This record gives sequence, C-alpha cells and structure tokens, in this order.
Amino acid sequence: MMEKKKILEEGLLELYLTGELSKEEASMVEEALGQDTSLQEQFDALEADFERMGMEQAIVPPPAVKARIKDAVQPNLIRKTNWMPLSIAAGFALIFGLSSFWLYEKWQNAEGNLEMLQTQTYRLQRQVDNLESEFRLTSNRLESINNPDVIPLVLYGNQKAPNGKAVAYVNHKNQLVLVNPKGLPTLPSHQTYQMWSDVDGEMINMGTFPTDTELVSLKYIENAESLNITIEPAGGSDHPNVEQLVSYVTL
Amino acid sequence: MRTTTNDIETIDRLLSGDNTALYELYDKYSGALFGVILRMCRDQNKAEDLLQETFIKIWKSIDGYDASKGRFYTWAYRIARNTTLNALRTKDKLIQTDDLSVYTNIKDDEEAPDYSELKGSIKSLEPHHQQAIALVYYSGYTHREAHEKMGVPLGTFKSYVRQALKQLRETYGTKLIYIWAVLELLA
Repeated sequence: MMEKKKILEEGLLELYLTGELSKEEASMVEEALGQDTSLQEQFDALEADFERMGMEQAIVPPPAVKARIKDAVQPNLIRKTNWMPLSIAAGFALIFGLSSFWLYEKWQNAEGNLEMLQTQTYRLQRQVDNLESEFRLTSNRLESINNPDVIPLVLYGNQKAPNGKAVAYVNHKNQLVLVNPKGLPTLPSHQTYQMWSDVDGEMINMGTFPTDTELVSLKYIENAESLNITIEPAGGSDHPNVEQLVSYVTL
Repeated sequence: MRTTTNDIETIDRLLSGDNTALYELYDKYSGALFGVILRMCRDQNKAEDLLQETFIKIWKSIDGYDASKGRFYTWAYRIARNTTLNALRTKDKLIQTDDLSVYTNIKDDEEAPDYSELKGSIKSLEPHHQQAIALVYYSGYTHREAHEKMGVPLGTFKSYVRQALKQLRETYGTKLIYIWAVLELLA
C-alpha cells in the first residue's frame, strides 16, 4: 500500500483527479483511498472543491449544442428500440410465409392426390359394376346349364360344317332351351343359322342365332323328337331349307 | 462527499437506455465542461464541437463510470480534457506562447474575447495561485508541464495548487457562513 504521507506530500491526489497518473499509480492511489477513510475524506473534499470551482467557471454553451447532441443520440435510440421488434416481426413473417407456402404446396398435392384417387375409385367402381354384371350373367348361365334338370346335347356338324359343333341345353321342367353356337363355322352376313324342333315329322321354328354369342336362348317346343340346325337367308325362314341341314340330334 | 444520489439515479436511467437522463446531465454539467473546453482551445466553434463530442463519449461510455471511485463531474472533466487535448494535438497548429496559453491563431485571438479569463472566487486568490489553477485545470497542462511554465520546482507548484484549492474552500466556506447569517437574520 502506498504511504498516505507520500500521497499527500507528492500531491498525488491532485494528479489522480486530473487523470495524470499512470495506471499503476492510479490503482495504488485507489487502493489507499479504499483503505484509509481520512485520505478518502481529503479526496472527497478535493473533488467537491474542484466541482464547485468548475461550476463557478462555467460558461453556458449555445443551445444549438444540446440540439446537436439530441440529433446524434436520438436516431441511435430509434434504431436501438425499433430494430429488435422489427427483426423479430420480419422473422415471424418469414416463418409464416414459408410455412404458408409449404402448407399451400401440401394442400395442392393433397388436392391432386384426391382427384387421382377419385378417378381411380370411379374406374374401380365401374370395373366392379362390370364384373358384377358379368358375374351375374355367368352365374345365371351356369345355373341354367349346370342344373340336374338340364340335358346337354351335342350337335356335330355334317359335311356342310365339318368339325362344326353346337351344344344345346334343354330343360324340360322349366321349358327352356339354350344353345352355345360358338363351335359352328361363321357364316357370311346374308346367312344365319336357324334351329327347328321335329314334332311328328313337322319342323317347328325355334329361332335364329348368331355364332358370336356364347349362349342363345331359343323357343322351347313341347314333344320335340329331334333338334335340327339349318342355314337360312339372313332373318330366318318360315320353313326349313332341308338341303341346308347342318346338324341334328335326337332327343 | 461522493456523487449525489440524484446523479446516481440519473446515471442509472442513462444506463438503462433513457436518453432524457443524458439531457439532464447536460443541463447540469455542460456549463462547467464548456468552461474547461473553451478556455483550453480558445475557439468558440471548436469548443462547441468538442463539447458535443464529449457528451457523445459520455453517452457511449457511461457504463465505464464507477461512482465508488469519484464524482461524475471528475470523470466527465477527464473526458472533456482528453478530448480537447487530442483535438489540439491532431490539429498540430498548436502554438504555445509566452503567456502560457494555447492558441490556434494569434491574430484571431487578439480580436476574439478572452475566454481564458477566470471569474468568481478565484479572482480573490493571489496571482500565482490563480495562474497555477488556470494552467492545470483550464489550459490542459499537466502538473509537470505547468511547473516548467511557471518556472518553479514541481513540489512548489503542487503546493501552489493545493494552497489555492484550500483557500478557495475557505472562501466558499465564508460565503456559506454569510448566506447562513443572512438567512438567520431574515428568519
């Protein structure tokens, strides 16, 4: 610790007051002041005298200086107080903007997906409908064929339709006749196949049928002894063209 | 006596970003600091600029002020003094003359008012005491430079300053007694 006597004798307090001491000397004086109340009191008195003298020697500066200081200090204040919330607001705006954009993108994707799914669902629905009706048709056919009351009859083609074959399903109980003509050779457009029932030697018209359908329902004739297929002009005939007989089967 | 609680409260407000506190400190101390700056640089316009610079420095470095180490005025005085000395040094036009003053231009100074003149209680001091005070506190001289200017040993010079301050305190004290007496008589 610096000697109190030395400080007072060398006038270090006065030098400390005007900031003329080196850092080391200044901190030594500060230490001494902190430890010695009477020395501190002397320095306090010196400061008080110095300030009083300063006030006495005061010269009032023109008001413009204060205005200039205000100008120099004020914009910084505005910047200090306003940048912070502004940048926070800008940050939030950016986050909101980005998230809005992201959500919009998501929404657009979802819309697209939904539309695609709706189309797909519609297509699937139609497929299901088709399958259902096809299934119903097929199961109906199967039922009408695969029935203990049904008698399947094969009509083989003669020399007029070599290798030709048609299958007739006759249900006497329900009085139904179905024909699968797919095995017969195709005819030119001005001709058609026609089926006849032989009842007591008389040929009775059962109906015409194309060859591109799997099962054709024909008229059931009671007491038929045989079934006959002839080739007739398109639209069919009232009486069979016996020369054009393609196939027959006895019941 | 330390920095008044009033000043401490004002400085706390300035530290918390309240600029009106700076204007209050300005209202209280700008005259005293302007007195120092103007006497040092002897140029009205430059002194105004330096006063502004001083208060901007105070505003920027107020967190460096430690009230336990001394009065706000002492701290502000050091800033004003250093700011002014720096400005005079960088200008490099400094001419020191026989009458121990710092001039920027001798001719201008002859016509301009003599800012260096001290007033009030100091005038009642003996001339060498007045000169010592003027040199150290109002001309920007260090004690070491000032004693050379006065042509007296450093120790003698320091005792001049100390005696001058002591006598000043006594005059202030007497003044206070007069005021007290007048107030007593009136009461």
